[in-house]
Amino acid sequence: MSGIVRTSGLIKRYPGTLAVAGLDLDVGEGEIFGLVGPNGAGKTTTLRILATLLKPTAGEAEVAGINVRRNPDDARRVLGFMPDSFGVYDDMRVWEYLDFFARCYGIPAARRRQMIGDLLDLVDLGDKRDAYVQGLSRGMQQRLCLAHTLVHDPQVLLLDEPASGLDPRARVELRELLRELRSLGKTILISSHILPELEELCTSVAIVDHGTVLAQGRVADIEKRLRYGAVLRVRVIGDAEAIEAAHDFFAADPRVASAALLGDGQIELGFRGDDAASADLLARAVASGIRIASFARAASDLEELFLQVTSGGSGRPAEAVA
Amino acid sequence: MTEGAGRMGEIPAAEPVDAMDGLATASELVDGNAVGHVDAQPVRAPRRRRSPFAPVRALGSGIAAVGVKELRGRMRGRRAFVILTLYLLFLAAFAWSWQLIAERRYGGDVLSGGSAAFASALIGQEIFGALLVVETLLVVFLAPAMTAGSISLEREKQTLDMLATTPIPSLAIVVGKLLSALTYVFILIIASLPLTAMVFVFGGVAPDEVARGYLVLFVTAIGLGSVGLFISALLQRTQAATVVTFFGVLGLTLGTLFVVLFWMTMAGIGPNQTRVTADDDGLLKGRPPQELLLFNPFATQYDVICGASDGYGGWCARLADLTKGAISVGIGGGAAGGSITTIDAGVGVGAAEPGKIVADVAPVQPFGIRRDTFWPRSVAAWLALSAVLILASVQLVSPTRRWRMPFSRRSA
Repeated sequence: MSGIVRTSGLIKRYPGTLAVAGLDLDVGEGEIFGLVGPNGAGKTTTLRILATLLKPTAGEAEVAGINVRRNPDDARRVLGFMPDSFGVYDDMRVWEYLDFFARCYGIPAARRRQMIGDLLDLVDLGDKRDAYVQGLSRGMQQRLCLAHTLVHDPQVLLLDEPASGLDPRARVELRELLRELRSLGKTILISSHILPELEELCTSVAIVDHGTVLAQGRVADIEKRLRYGAVLRVRVIGDAEAIEAAHDFFAADPRVASAALLGDGQIELGFRGDDAASADLLARAVASGIRIASFARAASDLEELFLQVTSGGSGRPAEAVA
Repeated sequence: MTEGAGRMGEIPAAEPVDAMDGLATASELVDGNAVGHVDAQPVRAPRRRRSPFAPVRALGSGIAAVGVKELRGRMRGRRAFVILTLYLLFLAAFAWSWQLIAERRYGGDVLSGGSAAFASALIGQEIFGALLVVETLLVVFLAPAMTAGSISLEREKQTLDMLATTPIPSLAIVVGKLLSALTYVFILIIASLPLTAMVFVFGGVAPDEVARGYLVLFVTAIGLGSVGLFISALLQRTQAATVVTFFGVLGLTLGTLFVVLFWMTMAGIGPNQTRVTADDDGLLKGRPPQELLLFNPFATQYDVICGASDGYGGWCARLADLTKGAISVGIGGGAAGGSITTIDAGVGVGAAEPGKIVADVAPVQPFGIRRDTFWPRSVAAWLALSAVLILASVQLVSPTRRWRMPFSRRSA
């Protein structure tokens, strides 16, 4: 598969540190791709290389078929970049801010005004057109900054930690906005260390640590692989005897590695099996007369995966997942 | 400047909010653009056909983009125009009081005919010199202060990255910043022109001398502005850049002057001495090279002001007295036609035979001096320095710069 954003063997060395150590990425067109990893994993460095702000020490990086190292000027026309600590200019109105960046991309005056109005509507800032940028809330500034990456209608958006520092409501708005952009055909590359965000939002993720990709793939695929060995949380209704019986029933199943009573009718199962197997288990439990109030997977899968992959050593888990 | 004025006109005009703007939905826009994109680039790699002038046009539109953005911020509201008005009022009051001083000095009730006309010319030269000195002072302080934060502020506000990912050339960022920062200084300079033209009422100053003085002012602004810009690009913090720029300017003005004074005192050269002999038992031999003053805007302006006088008096003598003849001799030496090489050789060797005349030092201004030979070289030197500093700033601003300062902080 040849994606719209690709890196191969990307290396960025700083004096004393290896920020990116042979990173391979392949992002398909139209995806919302999450770059997940702890702080210092090399996410920002990778995005900055893709955004033509840094030269890699070695390796290649391509955006929409354009080599960012050899043709930075061409690459800049097909990508939009939002840095993690995005800045806003003082003493500038919202429309002037977008007008400035539109001028930077050489967009003719006739189209600029129309486009600014449309972009402000898209990011829901239509009524803030004449407001000063520094007077906007952080969420609004974020959306405005996102709008500035769209003035030249790029194919690829590179967003560095877009959700950081936003309140939950602003995060939801951002998520909706990114979904809308995806529906407009943009490929979006997001870096984050906030996993639940990405899990809901992204179609694919790459888990990065120490400058290398530990796991990469569609969220569904990664989850599927991970489901083998998940934690099931079951809540049973009934008296103590019925709960004890249910516990024994689950513990007797060969695919249940462990079963623990948590109190209040809750049983936590260490389960080795995929979704079909867990559905099967549920059906048999119901058939055997256990009254089940809830039956669900515990914890966020991606988060679990993330902790698994990034905690113990770097080489081993990659093999385990792949 | 006509282009700048055009832009200026564009700025205060608040764009009327057109209700029709909002009617087109975002999806229409993006759909429309997307169609355009598909047409333009059936394959992923866009290969646009480029005209040979494309880089020039990109540079021009980039400079315009940065310039308009900066000017919108700087010229917003009443502040800029209030300052301009106050400045002109101050300058007018100063010129008027200087005229009164000069009238006291040269004029009198008994003057008539030719002597009255001569006195009037002297008064004109007095006002001309006074205005140029004050305006040079203004430029020396204002131009570097305007640019010292221009690049470092972008870094501090994290906007430089966003700017650097646009296709705008780094040269356009640097030149746009410089021009927009200097626009206000230029406006102040130009606004004083009618006031300076008042000297024509008195006479004694020719139009080309006024033109020279203003050329020096503009070039000084560009040169010192470039110094501030370069330091701003080099040092990442605005505060540090401002302090370093301030001391740099002090060094160029007072510093160079002090070195020349020191040199002359150590070499035992008096203000009115016309010959230097090698048996002077000073620390230093010979006359200080006038290149020391090449980047001193006051020395350059002094050459212009003195060029306007036709006698050793007025501003010409005043500045020479103030500096114990350092400026006069320092510049005059170069102006003493034809002997530059001899002087330089004398300075360089420094150990000539005792008693031998090493070099002619300047004849005292203005008798027998070829005037106006110092400022053209100073202007050329400033322009060359500006070009070098601008190119160096481009290197520092460019995200994937080719060379790196060994002590600059690496970006994360």
